[in-house]
Amino acid sequence: MEQGHGKEAAGWSTPSTEQCTDPYLRCAFNGAAQTALGVSGSALLAHSPQGCEYLVNNAFASQECDYMETITLCTKLCVDEIVHGGEDILARTIRDAKDLPISALFVISACGPEIVGDDIVSVCEALQPEVKFRLVPVPCAGFRGSQYDGIDIALDTIIKRLVKNNDEKIPGSVCLIAPHANANPTWIADLEWVRQVLLRMGVRVVATLTHRTPLSEIENMASAETSLLLSHDAGQKAADYLYAAYGTEQVGNGIPLPIGLTNTQRWLTALGERFDTQKIAEGMVAEGEKMVMATCRRKWPMARFLYRTPAAIIADATVGIPLVRFVTEEMEMTPELVALYTSQRSVQELLERELKSLRLSPKTVYGTDVYKTRMSLLEVKPRVVFGSTIERHACEGLPVAYVVEVVRMIRQFRMINREYFGYTGILNLFECVQNEWTMGWRSKERRYEAKW
Amino acid sequence: MENDSIVFHGNLQQLLEKVETGEMIPKLQASHAPMCKFFTAYYVISGIRHVVPLVHGPTGCPLYMSDFVRTRECCEIRGVPLEPTACTALDESHVIYGGEGKLLEAVKEAYAKYHPDLIVILSCCCSGIIGDDVESIAKEAEKLVGCRVLALRSEGFGGDFRSGYEDAFRLIMDLMEPPQKKMKGTINILGARWGPSPTEFNWDMDEIERLLSEIGIKVNAIIAGGCTVEQIRHAREVELNASWCYDWGQKLGDLMQERFGIPYSRTGQPYGPEATKEWLLGVATPLGMEEQALEVIGREMREVEPDLAYLRQALVGKTAIIEISEFPGPIRALSLARMAAEFGAHPVVINVHPYTIKERMPSIRFLLETGVNPEIVLTKGLFRLGSFRSSKETEDELEAIVKEYDNPIFFGNSGRFPPCPVVNLTLMNPAFQPQYGFKGIKNIAALVRQALENKDLPRSRLFRGMLYGTGTR
Repeated sequence: MEQGHGKEAAGWSTPSTEQCTDPYLRCAFNGAAQTALGVSGSALLAHSPQGCEYLVNNAFASQECDYMETITLCTKLCVDEIVHGGEDILARTIRDAKDLPISALFVISACGPEIVGDDIVSVCEALQPEVKFRLVPVPCAGFRGSQYDGIDIALDTIIKRLVKNNDEKIPGSVCLIAPHANANPTWIADLEWVRQVLLRMGVRVVATLTHRTPLSEIENMASAETSLLLSHDAGQKAADYLYAAYGTEQVGNGIPLPIGLTNTQRWLTALGERFDTQKIAEGMVAEGEKMVMATCRRKWPMARFLYRTPAAIIADATVGIPLVRFVTEEMEMTPELVALYTSQRSVQELLERELKSLRLSPKTVYGTDVYKTRMSLLEVKPRVVFGSTIERHACEGLPVAYVVEVVRMIRQFRMINREYFGYTGILNLFECVQNEWTMGWRSKERRYEAKW
Repeated sequence: MENDSIVFHGNLQQLLEKVETGEMIPKLQASHAPMCKFFTAYYVISGIRHVVPLVHGPTGCPLYMSDFVRTRECCEIRGVPLEPTACTALDESHVIYGGEGKLLEAVKEAYAKYHPDLIVILSCCCSGIIGDDVESIAKEAEKLVGCRVLALRSEGFGGDFRSGYEDAFRLIMDLMEPPQKKMKGTINILGARWGPSPTEFNWDMDEIERLLSEIGIKVNAIIAGGCTVEQIRHAREVELNASWCYDWGQKLGDLMQERFGIPYSRTGQPYGPEATKEWLLGVATPLGMEEQALEVIGREMREVEPDLAYLRQALVGKTAIIEISEFPGPIRALSLARMAAEFGAHPVVINVHPYTIKERMPSIRFLLETGVNPEIVLTKGLFRLGSFRSSKETEDELEAIVKEYDNPIFFGNSGRFPPCPVVNLTLMNPAFQPQYGFKGIKNIAALVRQALENKDLPRSRLFRGMLYGTGTR
């Protein structure tokens, strides 16, 4: 789905139908695994052929699980189980795992067993009396959608199966939703920043859906007065359900996440208003902006030289939408291409509002894939690209001076998690630009050997 | 050996017999999960340049290929251009109504988008179960586009990881055209399978190519390690097929010999002087270039003589405990065992998973025929629930086993902490690559020297704690 600039570019034409894609996003099974692995003290059993275990490994890394604490299992289905059904082997594997010291075992089914009709819910119900931990079946075959759909499916299961009804609300409390639906490769720092903000405002986090979240917190989630969605890509359904089922009011809905000065100010102000902590919010804004400016005065970010440089943003909506304002306002570049991995209406509406407010009219691509990204880059020819390592390689042969890698996957390894949210987040993003700026000067051709 | 943790203690021949009778297959379903057939088939196909591997399935299946193989391995590490990892992105409605129509359109679209030399449709679990006829679609689609379109049934459940490699190599044979001429003194190298770049580890392949070039032998194609469709078309014009590892090229080599009469040089991995010599002569002799090969071997042997002398002196009388836990497979462990024995050490191979023995029966039998039959020890930890990662249990078992042997030296990687010198043969450290051939001998000698001369230096408490938790020795 494309808007803005014409489709024809440099002798290439974009086929009208899209039956063949080169996706950025993984399948629903992967999203469900990411969500389940955010529950601490649990294990995950993939009811799947052994290849799907690699999707679990990817999710394991994304949630920064510790292999000494979290075990992942796989039923390793083969032809026999596809022909005759795999419920027996699932039951056997659950029994094999019965001595694990865990509070819950998430059983996630992949494409194969779902198509052949394995009923993982019934198997789990039948075996529940035999094991000490909670069995949580999550039917979430890859074909059910993207990883974000998988996150929504798993959140739905977790909330409906594990949350206990509780009429008593904890005043000034919140549950955080879908922090892991965020393409910052070290999104955990974004979550941590949010927690610090809430702590300072005196807002109690009842549960996080999900990251290192004990089962007991999930069970108690209905006592949260509010919910705070930390993604523009997934989790809205969970927030809606919590409101409908438990009256949990959503805070900060409809505004971009806190990346950049203005977005952070808006977001903190919204929280301050809801929790009656305006003064604290104002203090945080003043203090944060002062810190950023003072730091920049000392470090001199080279981003200041990129004034009105045509830029492209290729990312998930969670990072991509807030980046539009940050890139435009703080760094004074001109976004000429915004390509987002997702295409749901809420994402489109939020981006359109931002663009209108900034009086920008870049080419926008929703639900982009690698091919559409490359074609859009060919067409728009930005000078700076905010994206991932994939865009670094997709820009080969184009007059792109800098590819600033900000979303998964990125070339530079981070041992320390870095947030994009909030004020330190601004500095982290400046640092990404700065390092790329330095590399941008290096010539690949002009070399000679020193004599010594 | 008295040790409760030992599940098997014998030699390779005895282990093979137990595996053949099904005695050594893990009982826990969730123990040890290597890649599925789809992944390994994809690996092979993506090793052809300008190919579109078109995955007929949901978007999860190309994940590993897209993130790890394409972007990180190929683009970032090996400097190859960004190649597509295309997918039909099947959803629930396709699962119900079938995805053949979508696939046909996807092939046409892939051709229009990427202008490839070849399109290979890879089926996965979804398309396999719902019965989409990928072969017929490939035939039909080929009439509509300007390149060959092949189909590979590679459902993840449809076979073990090895069957994916083998079926993909078999499919590649369909591209080989009847020879117009013979390319004198030219070979194919078979069995590469990690994206559009030569072999898993460039340095080893570079060493092989260097030695071949010294002898005057040319390489037509490395199949499928960055070869072109054109090179594959001419693959039958070579005089001989070879592989740097008998196991990797075995299936394709045997098939090409059977079907096209092209001989396949059966040799093991060129670790150490004897195996390297055998490898080179195994290629040069059938080509009538034995004399040139012997001259190169003589020159190279003189060059590494100080290293060989050091290795003999350093390893004679020692027990070489060999464990390959990184990219686990038995062939490398057995090749190292052979090399250790050549230098006068007694090799003991620890924890080669019976699953991997089962998957490599022909190659294991070949090694046995060539006299490789080392002592093998398997421990309980190998069969534990969970994935095949470094575990505290196998670490504890390794430490206990090492104490049972005289004068032990460990050949493995630095993720292990046995109470003896550790030769860090990791493939993740470019500082000591290649390990094949004569340059490999120099590197292995340097690694053994590091292990022995620095055996009393403290090991990392940090890395040990990271791998096995605190509270250990």
